[in-house]
Formats: sequence, C-alpha cells, structure tokens
Amino acid sequence: MKIRGRLARNTIAAVAIAGVAAIALAGCTTTGSQTTTSASKNITIAQVNEATSFNYNTPQGNLDTNGEINYMTQPQFYTLDQKFNVIPNKDLGTYKKLSDNPLTVKYTLNSTDKWSDGQPMTADDLLLGWSINSCYYDSATTDADGNVTAGTQYFSTAGGCVFSTNLPTVGDNNHSITFTYDQPYVDWNIVNPIQFPIHAVAKVAGVTEADFVKAIKSTPKGDVKSPAPENPVLTKIAKVVNTGYDATSLPTDKSLLVSGGPLMVSAWTPKQSMTFVKNPEYKGTHTVKFDKLIMRFIGDANAQTTALENGEVDAIQPQASADTVKSLKANAGAKLFQGNQVAYDHLDLNFKSSVFSDPTVRQAFLLTIPREDILKAIVTPVNPSAKVLDSQLFLPGQDGYTQAVKANGSSAYNTVDIAKAKQLLAGKTPTVKILYNTGNPNRVDSFQAIQASAAKAGFNVVDGGSPDWSSLLSGGAYDASIFGWINPGVGNAAVPQLFQIGNPGNYSNFNNQQASDLAVKTQTTLNPSTLLNQKVEIDKLAFTDGYGLPLFQLPGLFATNGKVKNIGYFGGQTGIVWNVWDWTK
Amino acid sequence: MVSFIARRVVVSVLILIAASFIMYVLAASAGNPLQDLQGSLSPNRQALIDARVQTQHLDLAPPLRWVLWLGGVAKCVVPVAGGCDLGTTFQNQPVTDLLPQAMGSTLQLVTTAFVLAIVLGIGLGIVTALRVYSGFDYTVTLISFFLFSLPSFLVAVLLKSFIALNYNNFLANPHLPPLALLVTGVIVGAILQLLVGGPWRRRLYVFLGSGLFTAAILWYMSVSGWFTRPSLGPVAVIVLTAGIGFAIVAVLAGLRNRRAWITAGINVLIAIIAYFSLQWLFNISSAGTLVFLAVITLAVGIASGAIVGGPDRGLMMRIGGITSVLVGGIVLLDRFMQSWYSYSNDIGGRPIATVGSQTPSLGGNVWITGIDSFTHLILPTISLLLISFASYTRYSRSGMLEVLNQDYVRTARAKGLPERSVIVRHAFRNMLIPIATLIATDVGALLGGAIITESVFAISGMGALFNIGLGRTDVNPVMGYFLVIAITAIAFNFLADLAYAALDPRVRVR
Amino acid sequence: MSTVQGSPLEPKISSGFDAAERGSGGRGESQGRIVFKRFLKNRVSVVALVVYVAIIVFSISAIGLGPIPGWWHYPYSQLNPQLNQGAPTLSASGFGEHPFGQDRIGRDYFALTMRGIQNSVLVMLVIGVFATVLGVIVGAVAGYFRGWVDAVLMRITDVFIVIPALVIGAVVGKTSNGLGAFGLAALLGLVSWMVIARLVRGEFLTLREREFVEAARVAGASDGRIIFRHILPNAVGVIIVSSTLLIASAILLETAISYLGYGIKSPDSSLGLLIGSNQSAFATRPYLFWWPATFIVLLALCVNFVGDGLRDAFDPQQRRFSIRRTKEVDEVIAGQPLTEVGLPTEKD
Repeated sequence: MKIRGRLARNTIAAVAIAGVAAIALAGCTTTGSQTTTSASKNITIAQVNEATSFNYNTPQGNLDTNGEINYMTQPQFYTLDQKFNVIPNKDLGTYKKLSDNPLTVKYTLNSTDKWSDGQPMTADDLLLGWSINSCYYDSATTDADGNVTAGTQYFSTAGGCVFSTNLPTVGDNNHSITFTYDQPYVDWNIVNPIQFPIHAVAKVAGVTEADFVKAIKSTPKGDVKSPAPENPVLTKIAKVVNTGYDATSLPTDKSLLVSGGPLMVSAWTPKQSMTFVKNPEYKGTHTVKFDKLIMRFIGDANAQTTALENGEVDAIQPQASADTVKSLKANAGAKLFQGNQVAYDHLDLNFKSSVFSDPTVRQAFLLTIPREDILKAIVTPVNPSAKVLDSQLFLPGQDGYTQAVKANGSSAYNTVDIAKAKQLLAGKTPTVKILYNTGNPNRVDSFQAIQASAAKAGFNVVDGGSPDWSSLLSGGAYDASIFGWINPGVGNAAVPQLFQIGNPGNYSNFNNQQASDLAVKTQTTLNPSTLLNQKVEIDKLAFTDGYGLPLFQLPGLFATNGKVKNIGYFGGQTGIVWNVWDWTK
Repeated sequence: MVSFIARRVVVSVLILIAASFIMYVLAASAGNPLQDLQGSLSPNRQALIDARVQTQHLDLAPPLRWVLWLGGVAKCVVPVAGGCDLGTTFQNQPVTDLLPQAMGSTLQLVTTAFVLAIVLGIGLGIVTALRVYSGFDYTVTLISFFLFSLPSFLVAVLLKSFIALNYNNFLANPHLPPLALLVTGVIVGAILQLLVGGPWRRRLYVFLGSGLFTAAILWYMSVSGWFTRPSLGPVAVIVLTAGIGFAIVAVLAGLRNRRAWITAGINVLIAIIAYFSLQWLFNISSAGTLVFLAVITLAVGIASGAIVGGPDRGLMMRIGGITSVLVGGIVLLDRFMQSWYSYSNDIGGRPIATVGSQTPSLGGNVWITGIDSFTHLILPTISLLLISFASYTRYSRSGMLEVLNQDYVRTARAKGLPERSVIVRHAFRNMLIPIATLIATDVGALLGGAIITESVFAISGMGALFNIGLGRTDVNPVMGYFLVIAITAIAFNFLADLAYAALDPRVRVR
Repeated sequence: MSTVQGSPLEPKISSGFDAAERGSGGRGESQGRIVFKRFLKNRVSVVALVVYVAIIVFSISAIGLGPIPGWWHYPYSQLNPQLNQGAPTLSASGFGEHPFGQDRIGRDYFALTMRGIQNSVLVMLVIGVFATVLGVIVGAVAGYFRGWVDAVLMRITDVFIVIPALVIGAVVGKTSNGLGAFGLAALLGLVSWMVIARLVRGEFLTLREREFVEAARVAGASDGRIIFRHILPNAVGVIIVSSTLLIASAILLETAISYLGYGIKSPDSSLGLLIGSNQSAFATRPYLFWWPATFIVLLALCVNFVGDGLRDAFDPQQRRFSIRRTKEVDEVIAGQPLTEVGLPTEKD
C-alpha cells in the first residue's frame, strides 16, 4: 500500500507537472503561420538622423528627418520642383491672392479632402494652421534669456512670427478661410496654413473642436502692451502642438499619427526604422505607387554606401565625397544623382574691422581669393560639372541667377589677379584674421588656399579658426569669415538678414544704406519682377562694395540600387523624398 | 556579508556621484551647445537660441546644471518623489525613454562578445599553457600580440568591407575553387598538427588526415549547395551530439567512468529523439517556447545526472547539465539552419548585414528573427570580441602555467592522479582567480569599445547615444550613457570581488 | 574598493632578483645593468625596440621637427596639384613624387603619414610620462602613508576608474579642442594614471615593511627621502613595465579618439585621423587607409614586444614570449614532465 501510495503520488505529481508544462508551452507558442512580408514592393531609404517629432515646426523639432516626415504625412498647399518653383498642390485645394492692397489671400480645401482616419478636412483645420503660423494671439514680453515676463505665448514655431494678419473669415461651407495681411508679405505664396487635424489635436488636449473654434473667435488679438488674460483652450491646444508631437517611439495615442499627406506612419522601431504606408483617404496626383516606404536610420553616412551595395537599402543620400562617388560608380547596379545643395560656403569681409574699412583693401583681398582652385579641390572631384557660385542672393537654376551674374560684376573676381591686388595695396601688408570652423575640413581647406594665395599679394593672413566659431561670429573680433549659409531656395526672409544694417544676422556689419533699404523693401514687395530687380540690385551693390565672395555650393548626392525608378535630384530641404509619389519599384 | 554589501553600496554611490560630477562638467564644457543655431540664417534665430537655453538651463554654470541633473537622478532612486528624470535631449526627447531603446542592441552585442571572449580566450589560453613552448604556443602568442596592437575600428572596417560584402558576393555563386579547398585544408591541417604535437610522424598523419578531411567536407558543401541551404541533417546531428557527449565525458570524468557515460548517453539520446519528434513544435515556436524548452532541457540534464548519481553525484549532475544544454544547442542550431534559406531569400540573397541590428519590418517567426539578429550582430561581435580575447588568452596562459607549478599540483600528480583530473579539478579553478579581476576591468573596455563598433556598423545603441550627444554637446544623453556604463562597471567590480571570495577560500568578504 | 589584497596580476618583481643574478653569472653588477643585459638577450624585444626607434627617426628625418626641415620636399600641410589622381608613386625604383599618394585636396600623403607618426608617438609618450608621474605619486603616497591618506587617494582612483578610458578620452579630447597634440596628450595623461597608481600602491605596501626601510627610518631619513631614494628604486620594475603597457594602449586610445573625431584635428595629422577621414576611400583608394593602419599596428606591436621584453628582464619568473630561453630550457629538461619547465621551485 505504502509503495503504491508513493507511486500514485509521484504519478500525480508527474502528470501535474506535465500538464502545467503543456499549458505553459501552449501559452507561448504561435499559431504556426510562417508568413514573412514580401519585400518586393517596399522601398527602403537611408536617413542619417532618427526622427524626434511629428512636428518639425518647433524649435526642438526642426530637424531634416522630421521635415521629410511632415512633407509626406501632412497636407501641403504647395510643393517645390527641382528649380525651386512653387507648384500649388491641387490634391489638397487651391489658394489665391484676392487683392494686392491690402494683401488678401483665400485658401480653399477640396470638398473631398479627408484625414487618414476618415474625418473630413475643414476650415477648422485651416484655422489651427493659421493660428500656429500667424502668432495672432501672442502677447508675451520676454527677457534676455527668453523667459516670458508678461503676457502669453501660445505656439512656438521654428520659423517665428514673420508676418501678421487679421482674423480669417470662414466660407465655402466651412471649407475655406480668407485673411488679410497687415502689411504686404513677399513670401505669401509659401504660407501653408494647415498642418494638423484639429479634431485629433483637440482630443489629445482634452477639449473639443467647438471649444477651439470658439476660442479662436473670442480671444482678442495679442497686444504686448496690455496682454489679454490667457485663454485656457488655446493654451491646451498650443501645448499639444508645441511638445505633444515629440516622441521617441510610436505614440500609443493614434490620434497623433492622423495623416493628411500621401503617406502615413504605420510603425516605428526606435533606433532602427520608421515605416510608412499609403494613406487610404488620400486622392490625387500625389498618390504613391508602392506599398510601403521604410525609412531606415543609419547614423554613419559612410555606412550608407556599403548598405546600398549590400542591398540593405534601396536609396541613400550620403555625404558627397569623391570616394563615395567613385565607389558607387564601381558598384554595377547603382545609379547616381548628382547636384548641388542649397547650402553654400562664402567668404565675408568684416566692415567694422580696421583693415577692411578701406574699399581698395577689400577689393585687393577679394582679388586674391582662388575661388576656382578651391572649387577644384573640394567640389569638382564630387561633381565635375560644378561651377563657382557667382551671386550672393541667387542659386544657379533659379530665375534671376543669370541676370544677377551679368549685372553684379562678379566676373572681376573670376580669376586671381595678384598684380592688380599688389597695385591696389601699394606696398601695404595688411594683416587679415580669418574666422572659420576648424571642425569642417572644407573650411580648413578653403582657409589654407586663401592664406597661400593672399600672401602672394602681400596679405598676412592669420589663422582665426576655432571649433567654437559660431559663438564668435557676432563678436566681430575678426577681419573676415568663411562659413556657410543655407539658402532655402524659396522665400526671401534671408535678404534683410544679410544686408540690412544693424540686423543681428548681418554678422559682417555690411554697411551700405542703399542695399539695406532695398533689403527691407523686398519683404513687402509683391510684384515678382520688381522683387527680382531689387534683389539683382542688392547683389550688385554687395559685389561693388566688397561684401565678400560666395565660394561654392556644397555638392549633393543621391544614389539608388537601380530598382527604384523615378528618383531625381533635389537640392532643397526635403531631400530625396521630394517626389516620393513618383517612385515605383 | 550584509554589512559588507551595504558598505560597498554606499561607497559605490559616492564614487558614482563624484565620477558623474567630473563627467558632467567635462562634457558640458567640451563644446558649444548652441553652435548649430548660432550659424543658422533663421529669422527666428534668437528665439530658437532662447528656447534651447531655457529648456537645457544653459544659462547656468555646468556645476549648477549638474546639481539639477543629480536632483533628477535622485528621483529615480527615491520612489516617492515620483518619476525618473534624466533630462531631455535638444530635441525634447526624455533620456529615460531613449536609454532602454539604446540598451537593447548594445547589451546583446557586449554580452555576446564578453561571454565568447571569456570562453574562447580562457580555453585557448589553457591549451597553449598545456602545449607551452610548442609551435602552437608561439603562433597563438604572436597572434594575440598582434590582436593587442590592432585598433578595434580597423578590425571593424576590415570585417565589414571584406567579410560581409565578399561573403555575400560569394553566395551569389557558391562554388569553392580547388585552390581555396587546398589552402583551407593546409591551414586547418597545420593548425591541428601544431595543436596535437608529438613526434613528426604523428604530426604528419594529423596534418594529412585533417587537411584532407576539411577539404573533402568543404568540397561536399560546395557541390551540394550547402552555403545557400545550410543544414546539419540527421546524420550530422547524431554525430555531433554523440561527439559532444564523448568530449564532455572525456574532459570532466575520464573515459573510464561508466556512470558518466550513462549520464551523457541519456542526454544525447533524448536530444536525438527530440530532434526527430519535436520539429512540429519548433515550427510553431515563439521565443517564449525556446526559453521554456531551454529550462526543461537543463532540468532534464541535471535530473538525469542526479538519478544516475553514484558516489560522485555532483559531477554527474554537472555532466548531465552541460551535455543537455550543448546537445540541445545542436538541435536548435539545426532548426535555425533550416530557416536560413527562406530568410536569405526574403532579404534578397545577401544575408550578412553591414548596418544596424535588425532588418526593418521583416516580420517572420522566431527562427527568422533569430537568424536576422545573428546576421546583423556577427561581425560587430567579432570585432568587439577581438579586443579582449587576446588578453584573456595571455592571462589564462600565464595563470595556468603558474598554477601548474604550485606545490599542490605537484602533490596531486605525485599521488597518482591522472593528468586530466589534475588540470580539470585542481588547476582550473585556481587559475580562474586572477581572471576574475581581469573580467571586472574588461567590461569597461568592452562597453567603451562598443562606441567604435557601433559607429562603424551604424548600430544605434548606447555608443551612438554617447557619440551623437557629445558631438552636439548635448549633455543629458551623454550622462545617461555614463550612468549605465558606470553602474555596470561598478556592479562587475563587485561581482568580481565576490567571485574572488568564492574561488579563493583565503579571501573573506568583510 | 579592494577587499582583495594584492592583485595577482601584478608582476612579482621583488622575488626575481636572486634567480636573476644566479642566471647572469656575474656578481656585483648593478640592478639596471642586469636588467639591461637580460633585455638584450631577448631578441624579439630588441628588434621591436630598434624598429620603433627607426620609425620615429625616419619620420622625424623625413619631414623635420618644428622649425628644422627634413629631407622630404613637401610640407604636410601644403596643397599640391593632383598628380595622376593622387595615386601612390612608391615602387621598387624609388619614392617618386608622392610615394603614398595624395589626399582629397592634394596634400602629400607621405608627409601626412610621417606627421601622423610624430603626433601619435608624441601622444603616446606624453600620456605615458604624465600618467606614470601622477600614478607613481598617488600610488607611492597612498601606499607609504596608508590610513586615511590611502583611503582617500584610492577612492579618488576608483572615481576615475569607473569611466572607461575611451569614454573619458573622447570627452577630454573634445574639451581639449584647439590645444593641439600636446594638450590632448597631457589631458589624456591626466585621466590614465589609475592602473599605475594601484600597482605602485601595492608595491609600496609590501616594500615599506622591509628591513631596509626600517633601517633608513631609524637612521633619521625623512618620509620624502624614504619614498624616493629607498622604496621607489625597488619598485621601478613594476613602474617601467606597466607604463610601457600603458603607452601601447595609449596609441590605440589616441587613434580611436581621433577616428571618432574628438582628437587631433586637420590640418594637423594623426594616424587615427587619417584613417577616420578616409574611411569612405577604403574601396576606391585603399592606400589612404592602409599606410596609416600599418604604422599604427607596427608602433603598437613594437611597444607591446618591448614591454614584454622588459617584463621578462625585470622578472624572469613570469616568463612570456622568449624563444631563446625556451630553447635552452627545452634542451635541459627534455623528457621531464611538462610542468617542470625550469621555474624556480622556491619563492624568496
């Protein structure tokens, strides 16, 4: 009996263990389906930076990757073509100027427009977009450190408040808004007053769409001198827009992912990749022709080339170097797309420095700049067809570049003229301290080339390079500087930055009253040809007065493994995805 | 013991705080955090600068910012304060969110490299010590000196450019030319004859035998398309599992130990039966299943040892456990290989990866994702492993030599113990003592080395977090990285001390 | 942090000399001379030392040092026109115009590599000196005075040792931006002294209990004199060996930091920087990659072998890689059991 009892106990224990084991096993097996996704219709592109926010238009979210995501997933009233022409996007709707004086613009959505969650797009969404960009309600006073001391600031944007308007009127069955600018605004045609769906933002903020519309109508225009009390609804909405879209992984609240562009975010494996799928509600010419777009985050630009060669990605936008180009060309399947970026390096003379207060010294120094040699050393190996940049305001390919080059007198600096420089100097040997970024090899190389060439004419060029160059820019403790600007290719906001006397962006203290006045005037000029003439005139004044010299545009490079069709080069800030809807695989 | 641990924890925390201060102040003053904004042409530049200054407290001196940061860290430790706060990046991403994401791939990488370096390094070190002053010893010594002198990024770049790309290219037409067979055969033969040693005639036989065998196997693999459809198959599984059983018995118990034979035999048999009968289960397995099966395997192994028992029950349990895990590994390996072809097809026939730690949106079952991790991590792991592998070889070799010269080893020999048991039971354990300290310092080196490896292979792990943060003078991610690294280093130092005490009875933890 | 007394990894030098003197045959020779003689007998290490010095001399003679010009006609920072797309001209018939080729902007790669060698060697040596001096002082003071001084100094050591070398190196490298190779090396030296400090402390803890220290103390010697004149010379073996090994790891540290972009900056040159900035050229212009890589490995290998030879010379018990001695031993003990390999059976 005893033995049998023990046996029974053991048997029961064994059965129990086996049972538990079987249940546990059943619990952690899969259904047995072994399907893996077919990669044939997916397009994988490489991106250096990981996404950090679904709102690129904030101070902290203003990053190239976020901008590209915005471009693909949020509604756009216009897009740019390869020559930076503004192309209205009829998929979304239309916008047109109703009058020049006062400048009045009407934005109309197509009646069939829908967000990716099926909700229709309405004027309420336009009102949200407008209120983000116009700073209409802001009444804040800030101290030196940027802390708000009085009043309220609602939305904080990367672009800042560059225009102001009245309160829009809504029409067309709640599908259009019309607003009037307080002053003529030169870049009115690149204002895009729609970004996020208000129903989703309101839901996240814990208010309703009706509350928002009411707040829009009831809150008075911001007045710094006598700030109105804060509107809690607007504050909540602004908080979501300002920081709510910042993310490190796929948001659990899917409202944040509602898309109004041709694609929508479907997955995000942090540190690895982000996946986009077709927006089912998107109708029009920008509908994409593939299944999925996978944006793979590859932090090392060098690694992108090998990844393309190894078939891990379909398209890359690597750092353009001669070796990258060469090794990509050696790779039989690869197709290259070369061009110029909108970023360009330039040499500026500091008008406050004692050396360059004399215009002849400025001219003499500029005559020694070996622009052609610098281009040959830095850019030609990457882009054999590259040319020296000859305008301070236009990029090659833009309307006005050829006209400006003809008029601005840049041809005087096409070749180095040591003899003339010596003659202008008349035996003087001025000392020139050049500020540049020692961390950027291009700038170091440019500096060395300039130093060697200027020495021949008698200039004593001193190395003022620093890794911390940017904080020294506004200090003015240098005679000349080499650094880069990004000309966005479209828009004119940069003109006064560079040429207006006293503008904080005018680091080199360029001091030409005529150019300064023109630069200010550009901001309120609506007639394109007048604007063009103004800019050409400024360009000419800059060259005549010895502002400095543009050196070269940075070369850009896209490459594909040949499987993705219809990729084309674009130098602007949306990078390779600028024509994502044309891609096929 | 408790007071020892408590004292150690307190001291460690103080050390951590002091080290974090140094790190914070250095990192914060390493560059200009506003550089990208100051050079921008945005009309809104001042507002952008203000926004960053405000959110990152850049208007305060670094030591004061450190105090703020430390306050946030303290909230992680004190539960009532609510919420961990390690600060945010310039992009308003909380470091507490970024760290876990970054840690995954790095820990996987570092742990694998760490374990492999220890196992292989110590193993090779012991063999060289036993074959001291032989040709094999010199070769290994020379190679390890060479590895000592090799910058890790060099290895990484070479592996990526040669192995990954060329192996994938080879897979497009996987046929080994006769010359390659010959060369591989000669190399393998040469290594093995050095390893076996002895009179020249024996060496010659070993050389010829192993060389020919290798060449023949490779030839077979080449013509049978093994490289595109690798598999072990029933024959190889049976041979390999039996071989493992044999080797374990030979090393741990000696070939005369009948009970050891039985224990190992049971486990080998179970593995072979499982191989034939469990394939259906494997097909529907998830990662959880595998963990579950692994636990069962280990339990069965130990239990089989305990049942066979005998006078040396502990040894039998060890034999059972080790055998079951290793032969289980073979069965698992076979199953992974079965999925290789379909994986390779899925990603376009170029399986060995050069970037990242996984193929994006691959999907698939545990076998496919397992292979995916393998193909992504194999090269970074090798390049990381080589950093510390050489030092383990050197230290375990000299450690073994020193131990073998001790009186108690002499005594053990004198009383007639077989050489196997002298080495396995007496020398091995004592040899591990100095290695314990090495392991503690080596973890730091590996974690540091991961920065380089991750940068070359574009893996966005901890190293990338540090590197990008430092590049932008974005201090919070750098400090997040530091916290993890420093805590790991301290923990391993502590473990090393405990291991030291466990291995060396003369050392007492006080 | 160490409840474990006396790391087993410390070379046991003090016990080596009796055996050494027996081995070298002559009595009455100074310790340095014995060590030197023993080192000379280790052919691998001597060759390594010769190669190391030869590389340094070659690089200095080629491009000169500071204001002194060398025999090579291109300065390393000069931009030259690209000849034959910058391909290397080194061949059996001679150096040619640009033996190692030219970089992206036409600088002579031979001159850059030579400058890189100079800088890398400078960094190695400066780190070695700084770390050794600091480590010896900290270790000596801690080990000699013991008590709270020891406790405080060792906790400070622990603080620094918690941060991996590459991590603190990268941060320090970025901080030193603009200070040049010497500044970088000096700062790196200030964060690499910990291992030496620990070893020296251990050595001092044992040595301070020896009779000769007691004798000196009775004779009225000051603490400083006892530390520097009596104990330190007896610990010199540990110090030399470990600083050699530190130097070997220093070159790898420097190259890694420069590779990440936190070390020496262009237009100056370092071996790691050359590799890092030409990484994308690996497939197309491999010579830009291989020359600096070869010199990094050569330099590090040489120092490692020299370090090994020194360890052998100071401590014949811990035998490492020495073909000569092995052969002798093998002849003597052929046929004896494996483990009887001529090691002294008694300690002290």
